[in-house]
Amino acid sequence: MKKFLIGIALLPLVSAPALAEYPERAIEVTVPAPAGGGTDTSARKLAILLEKELGVSMAILNVAGGGGSVGVTQFMQAKPDGYSLLATWNSPITTVPQVQKTAYGLDSFTPIASTSETAYTMCVKPDFPAENGAQFLDELAANPDKYTYGNDGIGGTMQLAAERIFQQRDIKAVAIPFGGAGETLQNFLGGHIDIYGGSISPVLPYVESGEAKCLIVTSAAPVEALPQAAGLESLGLGAQETLLWRMFLAPAGLDQAIADRLVAALEKTVNDPEYVKFLATKGELPNVVAGEALTARLQSEFDGLAEAAKKLGLSQ
Amino acid sequence: MEMIASILSSVLATGPFLAMIGSSILGVFIGALPGLNPVMAIALLLPLTYSMDPLVALAMVAGIYNGSMYGGAIPAILLRIPGTPAAIATTFDGYPMAQKGEAARALKIACWSSAIGGTASAIALITVGPLLARATLAFGPAEYFWIAVFGMASVGVLVGTDAVKGLMAAVFGLLLGTVGLDQLSGVPRYTFDQTWLLSGLDLIVILVGLYALPPVLSLAEKADLSGLSASDLKLDNVRVLWSEVKSLIPTWIRSSLIGISVGILPGAGGNVAAFLSYNATKNASDDPKSFGEGNPRGVAAAECGNNADNAASMIPALALGIPGNVVAALVLGALLIHGLQPGPQLFHQNPQLVGGFMVEMLLTSLIILIVGGAAATRVFAQVQRLPGVLLVPTVLVLMAVGVYVINGRVIDLWIMFAAGACGYFLEKMEVPLAPIVSALSWADGRAEHPPRPADQPGGLQ
Repeated sequence: MKKFLIGIALLPLVSAPALAEYPERAIEVTVPAPAGGGTDTSARKLAILLEKELGVSMAILNVAGGGGSVGVTQFMQAKPDGYSLLATWNSPITTVPQVQKTAYGLDSFTPIASTSETAYTMCVKPDFPAENGAQFLDELAANPDKYTYGNDGIGGTMQLAAERIFQQRDIKAVAIPFGGAGETLQNFLGGHIDIYGGSISPVLPYVESGEAKCLIVTSAAPVEALPQAAGLESLGLGAQETLLWRMFLAPAGLDQAIADRLVAALEKTVNDPEYVKFLATKGELPNVVAGEALTARLQSEFDGLAEAAKKLGLSQ
Repeated sequence: MEMIASILSSVLATGPFLAMIGSSILGVFIGALPGLNPVMAIALLLPLTYSMDPLVALAMVAGIYNGSMYGGAIPAILLRIPGTPAAIATTFDGYPMAQKGEAARALKIACWSSAIGGTASAIALITVGPLLARATLAFGPAEYFWIAVFGMASVGVLVGTDAVKGLMAAVFGLLLGTVGLDQLSGVPRYTFDQTWLLSGLDLIVILVGLYALPPVLSLAEKADLSGLSASDLKLDNVRVLWSEVKSLIPTWIRSSLIGISVGILPGAGGNVAAFLSYNATKNASDDPKSFGEGNPRGVAAAECGNNADNAASMIPALALGIPGNVVAALVLGALLIHGLQPGPQLFHQNPQLVGGFMVEMLLTSLIILIVGGAAATRVFAQVQRLPGVLLVPTVLVLMAVGVYVINGRVIDLWIMFAAGACGYFLEKMEVPLAPIVSALSWADGRAEHPPRPADQPGGLQ
């Protein structure tokens, strides 16, 4: 017993300097999206696993609005001490600054790690005159302004993802903005628009029931859950890839040791079989990209979207 | 049959059963406190339950949702302060009833009407849910536009005696609704480069200020130091007669149907259901002038309508995987965390859970009768005995806390006070406030958008 007490007393002396003790109190995670949505559930599920890994509790704060820019702007007031993190999807960081004035830029953050990713897809009704990605683009090219496609809002990532493809093939389709994938899906099922444009998971049950036929995904590679949809690589459009992906960011100036600790924790929890299974039900794949590689990924996506927005005349 | 038995036995197990009772009581309190509202409470509490038994978590959602819709009526009747947005229409006749010394009777009618509306809605969810969900798909942008026009036209019933003032109020509400990022063009309107204005003015913040602050201020003006004496309360001898119940039946049927119809359409909410029910009842009455003067049917219509919205608003979410409001989105999020894939197959994936939630929506509607009838009504009516000097600061603090919690922003408090000051002076000038809120809630939802080019390819780009 005595030995044990002495051991405890000596513990602070033998353990490394203050930083090694990170984290020692609860971490606040800002999610710039409403509770219950895709980004929110991904962050919360991961937070449950991270709490075990880091040994402190994680408090999720939802700040929705402005396509994510409201929450990210509010996060700009946080200190780079490792106790304030941002769990976001890519749109508020790389897309929104193209079309809105924002109080932040890529250099406002210390990138920690990406966590998961999925593609956007475009789907049509079973009677649409095309059976694969190539025929789909040909049909659109042959009939300018005939077809309408729903998306997540003007200047949203889904619209830019679609237009990056359309611009390569001189396709003109009518963009119809909705409040989100759910609303787009409702209007697609009701026959009010010709093409569903949005994330994969909401439309997946309708692919299985035969009410929707997804012909293209916006990733370079095809997606296992949508066998009929072509990946962009096979259409010679691999460079136009636009993904929906999620990441953890900290304010600029975060200590490297803290960032490393978080990357290690994220690598472990994201690849936890329980989390991988959770991602699969949403049509997402785990993908941890950290440090410099993440900075480069953000920059190249930012530049690609800037070009598409400029051609559409949407740039700020 | 076996399925029904197994669903019932899992819902009536100790955990979910206690959760239903506890959360119904909690819901009544959340509804009764102005500023706190069910959507916010569920958004804060549901994520905490992700590690629990999902049926317990969903019981909590059902209890808070249904309980708070009745709870909102309590301050609406007693103090003319709507506890939730959906209780605004309840103030129209509930408060005049209280003024006539019929507070307890009004509370009883509100309680029964809430329970009936909630039960009818839950039965619709259980029996014809998938069918109704398919019907909602026929509503495209053009249909929503005309619903909004209908909604705006119905504001006419609320304008009061001076039509010009009423219409001005409605236009003011529409103007407030234009603030924020325009979805169609992506252009920020009246945001003055303030990021927090991009998502528009928060309906609840405006509403708490506009509707709850003026009554608090007029209470303060009275500077009343004593409150009602115990003998003036008349709690015990309230009997609602069978003849009266009979006269309310048509109102209940009409309001339940209206509430369910509003509920299945994404975007609209309990406040719209209550307004439309109130209007329909007033229009159908032989004596429309008695509305606003303390007609029990006005209270019944509003309370039945807003509760009938609840379970029905879950229909598109559970049957199609398309959430129509925030609570439905939260429920789908919780199901996803528990490994279910929202969509048309949801019920078949886990009938125990999805069916269980439907039954919980039904049972919590009935629990309102016990919670409200036996306890809450009696306890809450005592509020009238509190002197104004105590009531005013208490209500103000609660309002401020509730508004702050919504977005965690201090600026919302200023918006609330500005709206309150505005409401106070408009009331002095006898401008009705209801058209402002009604117009704002129509402008706030998706209804704000003109017919999208969906139906005219190549038209507008």
